Amino acid sequence: MRRMKMASRFDHDVIVIGGGPSGSSFARAAAGNGLDVLVVDKRKEIGVPVRCGEGLGQTEIIKQGLDLPRSCYSSEIVGAKVIAPNGKSVIWKDTEASGWVLERKAFDKWLCELAVDKGAKISSYTRAVGIVRDAKGRPQGVRVSHGGGEPYEITAPLIISAEGMESLMAREMGFKTVHSLYDVDTCYEYEMKPYEHENLLEIYFGNSLAPRGYVWIFPKSDRKANVGIGIGGLVENGRKLGGVMGADPKSLLDEFVKGNEKLKEASTLLEFGGVISVGLPINEFVKDNCMVIGTAAKQVDPIHGGGIGLAMEAGLLAADSAVKAHAKKDFSKLALSEYERRWRAETGPTIENRMKLRKIIEKVSDDDLNHIFNTLTDKDLDQVMRSNFAPSALKVVAKRPQLLAVLRGLM
Amino acid sequence: MITIKHEGCIFCVGCSSVCPANAIEAAGTRMKTYPEKCIDCGLCVRVCPANVICMYKGVKDGKDLPKGAK
Repeated sequence: MRRMKMASRFDHDVIVIGGGPSGSSFARAAAGNGLDVLVVDKRKEIGVPVRCGEGLGQTEIIKQGLDLPRSCYSSEIVGAKVIAPNGKSVIWKDTEASGWVLERKAFDKWLCELAVDKGAKISSYTRAVGIVRDAKGRPQGVRVSHGGGEPYEITAPLIISAEGMESLMAREMGFKTVHSLYDVDTCYEYEMKPYEHENLLEIYFGNSLAPRGYVWIFPKSDRKANVGIGIGGLVENGRKLGGVMGADPKSLLDEFVKGNEKLKEASTLLEFGGVISVGLPINEFVKDNCMVIGTAAKQVDPIHGGGIGLAMEAGLLAADSAVKAHAKKDFSKLALSEYERRWRAETGPTIENRMKLRKIIEKVSDDDLNHIFNTLTDKDLDQVMRSNFAPSALKVVAKRPQLLAVLRGLM
Repeated sequence: MITIKHEGCIFCVGCSSVCPANAIEAAGTRMKTYPEKCIDCGLCVRVCPANVICMYKGVKDGKDLPKGAK
């Protein structure tokens, strides 16, 4: 093994850019199959800063055969409660709806440690600043800077972009990862205490509350909660800054908190914001000698922007293709394309269904939303969450035929 | 070009994720802008959750910023 490595003209078999859930899952699976994997992450400490609502369904972890340690989550979730503008709520409780509110900091680090246990190497505070190419322009390595120092080259025949939202190296490798305003939500979140909760994720809809988005309350341990808002990137709510109107989610979140009986006296322990992707995946995940996984490939849920589970899944699929390509010493687009084929077949349709639902949710008025929530039962919501829209849509339209035009796509 | 009030920036890299011109990137612990690449589209201003980006249309050099801009 060692002799083989010395004979190779590359420093590593694979370089992964980004040590989030997709990058570390890829590294764990690839290293577990004997590949020499290096993960570079620009952050000084893996998992920090946290920019996430931190919700994760349990099915993802079970699917991956992992056992989530107690330190990685703050609280267990038994379901979700969706609240209409008029206050009427529907509750969804199911094994699929249960999961955790994570401690992302510990969770990301744990995933990286699992990768290290399998033999992967992780280098924090190491930022990728450029792509090394061969004479034909194919990626053959990454130029990195450690702690802002002089950049140097590391080489590998396969480069994985697991960069998340920014995805600058993926762009440099020719992937179209730039987000349009329609495909992003701009978010703000407080960690607050005290908040008495029922271990349910709470989702508040309403066009004045959160235009083209929603407010969430994710319960955490010790009477804490992540209280956040996400609104469409196209929403103009802020003040003008040099002639351009901003979205300003923070002021809307402050209004929500002020108007909420249980929260208005609570303290904030942490606040942060971010921009999340709520679009469809990019048009290609694979090129010669490189692949894009996770949020960088926009593998996210178009309704809530959640991407941890999808990222981990994509990491495993991509690793599978990488291992096969490595065995054949062929890193061409064709040799790597199984990852993309499988992802689009296994996960693609679900994402497209969710996008359909998103487009409908954002078209309905508060009044219509109230009507929908008055009509639907907890059981109906269960069906909707499983992408079985037709029965619920029929029920709603039967009482309010003018919604037919909006909901037709679901029937 | 755009300016960023770094003291209010929460370093979420949202601006660079929507920038079609690669004119903003995360460098170390702050966002770095490249005025010569900026195409004055304003997308970063629109998505910034912290309201710390300001755009000055047509300005290509920090020296030409209007009085009071920072």
